[in-house]
Amino acid sequence: MSPVLSRLLRAPAVKTLVLGALALTGAYALAQQMVTPQSKPPSEKEVKSRTSKGGYQPERMKNPNLAPHAGRMTVTAPADIPFDRIKVPKGFQVELWAHGMPGVRMMARGAKGTIWAGTRIIGRVYEIKDQGGMRTHRILAQKLVQPNGVAFQGGNLYVMAINRVFRYDGIEDNPNVKPVELTAAFKLPPEVHHNWKFIAFGPDSKLYVQVGSPCNICEPSPEHGQIRRYVADGSGMEVVARGVRNSVGFDFHPQTGELWFTDNGRDWQAEDGPQDELNRVSKLGQFFGFPYCHAQGIPDLDVKKKDPCKGVTLPVALMGPHSAALGMRFYTGAMFPKDYVNSIFVARRGSWNRSKLFGYDVVNVRATADGRNAKVVPFMTGFMDPKENKFWGRPVDVLQLPDGSLLVSDEQNGAIYRVSHKK
Amino acid sequence: MRSFDTARRTGVIRRAVALACAIAFAAGTVQAQTKANPARGAATAAPCSACHGSPQRPPLAGMPSLAGQQEQFLVLQMFLMREGLRDVPQMAGTLKDFSDRDLDEVAVYFSLQKPARGKSSGKPKLHARGAALAKGMACGSCHLGDYTGQRQVPRLANQREDYLAATMKAYRDNQRIGTDTSMNSVLYQVPDGDIEALAHYLAHQ
Repeated sequence: MSPVLSRLLRAPAVKTLVLGALALTGAYALAQQMVTPQSKPPSEKEVKSRTSKGGYQPERMKNPNLAPHAGRMTVTAPADIPFDRIKVPKGFQVELWAHGMPGVRMMARGAKGTIWAGTRIIGRVYEIKDQGGMRTHRILAQKLVQPNGVAFQGGNLYVMAINRVFRYDGIEDNPNVKPVELTAAFKLPPEVHHNWKFIAFGPDSKLYVQVGSPCNICEPSPEHGQIRRYVADGSGMEVVARGVRNSVGFDFHPQTGELWFTDNGRDWQAEDGPQDELNRVSKLGQFFGFPYCHAQGIPDLDVKKKDPCKGVTLPVALMGPHSAALGMRFYTGAMFPKDYVNSIFVARRGSWNRSKLFGYDVVNVRATADGRNAKVVPFMTGFMDPKENKFWGRPVDVLQLPDGSLLVSDEQNGAIYRVSHKK
Repeated sequence: MRSFDTARRTGVIRRAVALACAIAFAAGTVQAQTKANPARGAATAAPCSACHGSPQRPPLAGMPSLAGQQEQFLVLQMFLMREGLRDVPQMAGTLKDFSDRDLDEVAVYFSLQKPARGKSSGKPKLHARGAALAKGMACGSCHLGDYTGQRQVPRLANQREDYLAATMKAYRDNQRIGTDTSMNSVLYQVPDGDIEALAHYLAHQ
C-alpha cells in the first residue's frame, strides 16, 4: 500500500466510509487490516463463536435497522383507543371492556368471575371486577420481575414472575390475603430473556409452566427451552415438551386433554421466517426442534448439526413470520356459531423483526383433534394498517367468559376488549 | 407541580414552543412533532447536570451522559426508575415527585442537547476488537450504524466507557432491565473482555 493511501485510510472520516463500504461487500477482516495494520482483530470464527449467542445476522435481512417496538407504560385514555377500527366477522361485535391498565397481558378468571392479568416490564398484576356492567380494577401486586403468568385453581390464584412464584389463597373471598411464596419449590432459572412465564392448569390439575430459551438462537442450557408441569405446590416437576424456543400461550384440547402450544420462531434468519408455530404434545417429553430445526423443517443457519430435523415433532400449523403468536385458547362456548366449537383463538402480538408488519390480530385455527388439516383464518383485525406499515394495538391473550364471549387483551393500550356474537 | 401562574405559564409555553420549533427547524429533525416543552424541562432538569454533566462538561465517573440521548429512551428509563422497577436508589429519590409530563419535558430537553464529540481511542487493538465484535453482534441494527440510537434504543456513541461496560455487564447478569429483554439476550454468556472491548469501541466513535 502506498504511504499516501495508507495515511488517507487512517483519517477518521475516510476510515468510516471505507469501513462502511467494505463491510457492505463483506470484506470486513481485510478492511480492519488495511486501516489498523498493527492491530490483530479476532478471527471471523472467534467473533462468530462469541456472537452466535445472540444470533443477530441482520446482513441476511433486507432492512437491517429493525428494533423491537417500545411499549407504553403510562395510561391510555379510552378516547385515545381507536377500537372502532377493529374488524370482526359479520354477526360479531367488539366493545372496550376495560382500560387504564398499562402493559396488560395474560389473563386468568376466578370461579366467582374475577379476572387477573399479568404484565411484563411494568411489573404489575391487575385484578379486574365486573360489577353491574362496569369494570373496576386495582393493582394486586407490583414491582415484580415480569409477572406474566397467572392461573387459578381451587379458589387460589397463582402468580408467576421470572424468578418468583406466589399463591393467593381464597382471594375472591379474602381480597387482602397475603400471598404464600412458592419460589423455592419451583426452582426456576434466573435468566430473564424469554422467561416471562405463561402458566395454566391442565386437566390433570397440574400447573404447566414454560421455561423459554434465554436467547434468540443458542444451545440453551438443559433447564431451558421447555414446557414443564408441576404439582401445584411446586413438587414433582416433569418436562412435558423440549426444544421449545419461547412459548407464551397454551391450552388443553377439550376432547383429548392434550397440550397445544404456540412457539415464537427465531429472528434474523429471514424476513419471511422461520414462521411461528402451533404445536401439539402427544407424548410426554416430545422434542420440537429448537435450536436446530424450525417451523415445517427449516434447518437453523447458526446452530448446525447433522440431520437437524430428525426426531423433531413438526407443528400443527404455521402461524406466520415473526407474528408473535402468543395467547391461545380452545373455544368451548355456546355464544359463537357452532363451527367455532373446539377451534382455537390465537392472539398475534405482531412482528418487529420484519420490514413489513405482520400479525397484530387474533386468528382462528381449525384442525382435527389429532392435529391434521389445520386452517388459519383472520378473526379480529384492524390493529395495524398494512398500507402505512403502522400499528396502534397489540393483542396478547384471549380468554373465554362463561357466556361464550371472548376477552382480548391489548398490551399497547392497556385495554381489554370483549367480542360477542348475536344470532 | 411547580408554581407557575396561568398567565406566566402561557407566556413561557409560547416562548418554549417557538424555541422548540426553531431548534427543530435548525436541526431538520422530527422534534417539532413533540408536544413536550423543553424550556420547562430545562428548569426541572437543573439539578441533573451535577452528576450527568452538560454539553460543556463530562459526567462524573460511572454516570451516563444524557446530552443528545433518545427522547423515548429517557422517558421510559426515568419511568422505570421512578416506579422502582429499575433499582437506582439515588434516581428514585430524585424522580419521586416527577409527573409523567415532567418526564416528557426533561427527556425532550436532554434529547435536544448536542451530544458529546468523539475522542480518538489511543488503544487501536482494543478498538479494532470492539469494532469486530460490534459488527458480529450487529449492535448497529437497533442502535443504528453510527450508534446514535432510535426511539427507546439509546445512543451509545461516545458515551462514557466505564458506564457502557458496567451497563452491559449488568444486562448480562440480569441486574439491569430495559423496556424489553433484548439486551439480556444479546449479552447472554458474553465474557468481560469482550464487553470491555465493545465499551471502548462505542465510547470512541
